[in-house]
Amino acid sequence: MKNPSEEQSSMQEKKGVSRRAFLRGAGLTTAGTVALSAGLLSFKLEDAKAPPAILGPGEAEVRFVVNGQARTIWVEPRTTLAEALREHLSLTGAKVVCDRGSCSACTVWVDGKPVNSCITLAVDVSGREVTTIEGLAQGDELHPVQEAFIEHDASMCGFCTPGMVMSCAALLKRNPNPGLEDVKLATSGNLCRCGTYPKVFEATLAAAKKMKK
Amino acid sequence: MKNIHASGHVRGQSVFLDDLPVHEGTLYAAVFGSPVAHGRITGADLERARALPGVVAVFSHEDIPGKNQIGGNIRDEPLLAERELHYIGQPVFLIVAEDEWTARRARLLAGLQYEALPAITDVEEAWGREQFLFPPRTFRLGSVDEAWEHCVYHFEGEAETGAQEHLYLEPQASYAFPAPHGGMKICSSAQGPAEVQHVAARVLGLPVHRIEVEATQLGGAFGGKEGQATAWACLAALAAWRLQRPVKLVLPRQDDMRMTGKRLPCRARFRIGLSRALKILTYEATFLLDGGAAAGLSPGILERALFHATNSYYIPNVRATAFCCRTNLPPNTAFRGFGAPQAMFALEAAIARAAYELGIPARRIQEANLLKEGDEFPYGQRARQAHARQCWARAEADFDIRKKEKEVEAFNHQNASTKKGLAMMPVCFGISFTKTSMNQASALLHIYQDGSVGLSSGAVEMGQGVSTKLAQLAAMALGVQAERIRVETTDTARVANSSPTAASSGADLNGKAVQHACAQLRRRLLETAASILRAPLAEVDLHAEQVWRNGRPTALSWEKLAPEALQRRVNLSAQGYYATPLICFDREKEKGHPFAYYVYGTAAVTMAVDCIRGTYATEEVCIIHDFGDSLNPDIDQGQVEGGVVQGIGWMTSEEVGCSPDGRLLADSLSTYKIPDIYAAPDVIDCRPLGAEGPGMAALRSKAVGEPPLMYGIAAYFALIQAIRAFNPHYRPGFRAPMTPEKVLMALYQDENAAAL
Ligand code: FES
Ligand code: FES
Repeated sequence: MKNPSEEQSSMQEKKGVSRRAFLRGAGLTTAGTVALSAGLLSFKLEDAKAPPAILGPGEAEVRFVVNGQARTIWVEPRTTLAEALREHLSLTGAKVVCDRGSCSACTVWVDGKPVNSCITLAVDVSGREVTTIEGLAQGDELHPVQEAFIEHDASMCGFCTPGMVMSCAALLKRNPNPGLEDVKLATSGNLCRCGTYPKVFEATLAAAKKMKK
Repeated sequence: MKNIHASGHVRGQSVFLDDLPVHEGTLYAAVFGSPVAHGRITGADLERARALPGVVAVFSHEDIPGKNQIGGNIRDEPLLAERELHYIGQPVFLIVAEDEWTARRARLLAGLQYEALPAITDVEEAWGREQFLFPPRTFRLGSVDEAWEHCVYHFEGEAETGAQEHLYLEPQASYAFPAPHGGMKICSSAQGPAEVQHVAARVLGLPVHRIEVEATQLGGAFGGKEGQATAWACLAALAAWRLQRPVKLVLPRQDDMRMTGKRLPCRARFRIGLSRALKILTYEATFLLDGGAAAGLSPGILERALFHATNSYYIPNVRATAFCCRTNLPPNTAFRGFGAPQAMFALEAAIARAAYELGIPARRIQEANLLKEGDEFPYGQRARQAHARQCWARAEADFDIRKKEKEVEAFNHQNASTKKGLAMMPVCFGISFTKTSMNQASALLHIYQDGSVGLSSGAVEMGQGVSTKLAQLAAMALGVQAERIRVETTDTARVANSSPTAASSGADLNGKAVQHACAQLRRRLLETAASILRAPLAEVDLHAEQVWRNGRPTALSWEKLAPEALQRRVNLSAQGYYATPLICFDREKEKGHPFAYYVYGTAAVTMAVDCIRGTYATEEVCIIHDFGDSLNPDIDQGQVEGGVVQGIGWMTSEEVGCSPDGRLLADSLSTYKIPDIYAAPDVIDCRPLGAEGPGMAALRSKAVGEPPLMYGIAAYFALIQAIRAFNPHYRPGFRAPMTPEKVLMALYQDENAAAL
């Protein structure tokens, strides 16, 4: 009889192929696709830098700025930003939970805007500036959102927290005067299984108040 | 006191398993799972997988040096399938490669030949064929049949609850490395490191002391990493042992969702009889629990379902029987509530059925039957410090439930396309592992010469705040600031034979053990202080980081006392131990006193339904909860909020679903809907009852992990109320979850349609 594991395989293969095929596409499309799948305001078509040459097989160079430091890494073109940060740069703050853009636990900023790093390719952030949860505090001085999360008990197991904090801090950057609905919208992609939502609202609104002072 | 891990969490510096620094030479594993729900293995083709560059080894059951058995009390679960396949995703091979990507690619190249056999995926069918994982059990009180004759109102029906995926955000993960002197160290995201240690020793054929298991902190668990962490830890350990290299196994989300079990789905048939005064005189229930392909923790879950079959009510005549059926699905397992939510839902369905047919609010039946002091549970224990009625009365008064009901009524009158419903839910949840022998814990404390303190216990931190509570308890007992206490990771080499952190009892059991250790240290230090000060022991005291004599501070600070004690050869380490007194249970008679105490509470949930779309929102959750004397109100409040949200998810949006051939349909976060920020209630108003806690709880602060989940059950009944306000023809089938799709169908169901 037919071996269903092959069927399973071919389905998963396809996923891999499509990622590679997508890489071979024009640079503009690539950036555009990222913007769509990330579902966030991050990339605009006109933002796209020069289209990348056909990448792979083999590793590609990525030069970018991470938390204020220029970094150069060599990665397989399929490597996501989340993998690059966690595995190549040992920045394990961003968590990979769903690995397909449905939970926002992996949120980092690219050029100041939040993206899901699990569905952003590392090669696509070449020349850009990435901020991770590790880079949010200024040395020992926490970002007001971080402080408020502690103050308002907005973390339990803490696995969603880095992503939550990055989403909330990004909100306050673009809207210093948010209301409850704004906070909800900003964190609508962030899942928390421990149920910290009410505290996340409280904390973010409190941080906004504090930042205005 | 704030959660001691909060600062690490917000900085992204907390170290979960997959964040541990990687050891040189680490290999990565991927699990090849059964492609079929039931079958017989006829052959394997692993050559292509082995040939892929970067693949180091492919293991099968033949490579297991010890026993291929990871089952608990019932040994029915192989680590790797041998001849038979029992569910889709059942581990068959383990592929180990230089990197994760290669391991997963090689998995696609592995082949398995098998002969497919008919699969059972429906619990009813399993029950009909008497496919049981272990024998059924029955709890009895009074005489159900006799009482039935005396009832004025009689109702019968069915109720059903679905599976629930834990969706701990951190996936199952393990990391094993060969340790010096022929040992094996396993880091595991486990709620029960000792269980992992024990089973890994069995699998590797080693004495238990050669295996060390450590859990750092878990990114959520909810019961899903109790029995279920074992397989992944054993697999990593197997590879690490055979290859003598570090091996890491972190399940990708889809593997995790496909291969691991869920909350046991439950189908219940009930019969309920009431007197004219709405007293429930008799209740009979039969529960068909779907245990999946192996027993795992189901014996305990079935037992707890029976213990909580009458929830917060006194019913004089009860017969509750539970069957645990074997199906070809991943072995289902512990999930916050452990069988109790399933049973409580069935009784609420019975009450609701009676109320609808009698045309009265369910609240009246609920209230008329609440437990009072001294009432007997069907298993023989009597309710002491019974706060069911106080919680209910406080909820009615504090939240003005009558007024809320009137408002809902008025709203429904005025609005055609949006309807609201309000339902109440009393909860009574027994605290202790139902298996008496598991109610023990130990702790190890060291005071170092600079006065800092290291605390180890069997408790695993998974977001519930147990580390913070233990630090608080130790600080109070020693008379120092909590900052002095470092709560170590949970490691079997430091604290042995611990029970899993489960059954809401982590803080109670380990807290008492910590207190016991601290009491020994405190006594030794007081004696030392007395001798330094040349004062009688009765005159010295130790608190606020200071030695006091006759109520006045002395020059002897904690920081001076610790090194001085060491100089004087005082033992600055202590092991504490606690075993819950008094509890017992006789499984022959099904009677006993299994619980140290009970947690009570009452919730009122208001839901609003969009009657055009079938979508809904949880408007408000009001709770009176019996915390006892909460040791940490912030943490406890968070536990209530988180529990309620999970309960609401279980009742509303979380649907696993399974195809007839046994494939789980929701295997990613895009197809399985846990409550997001919009689904979470707009208001959760939780107030403490304020009654004194029991002595059996650490510092009288009651356990808090599981009970709040069951408040979520009210969300289902509130939805039904709202739907009924729109569609009087709607006949509820008491089948949760009530997804928006189902709500929409219910809103437009006609008279003759089957119950939904
Ligand atoms: S891990 Fe990136 S969105 Fe879930
Ligand atoms: S705090 Fe645990 S998932 Fe959000």
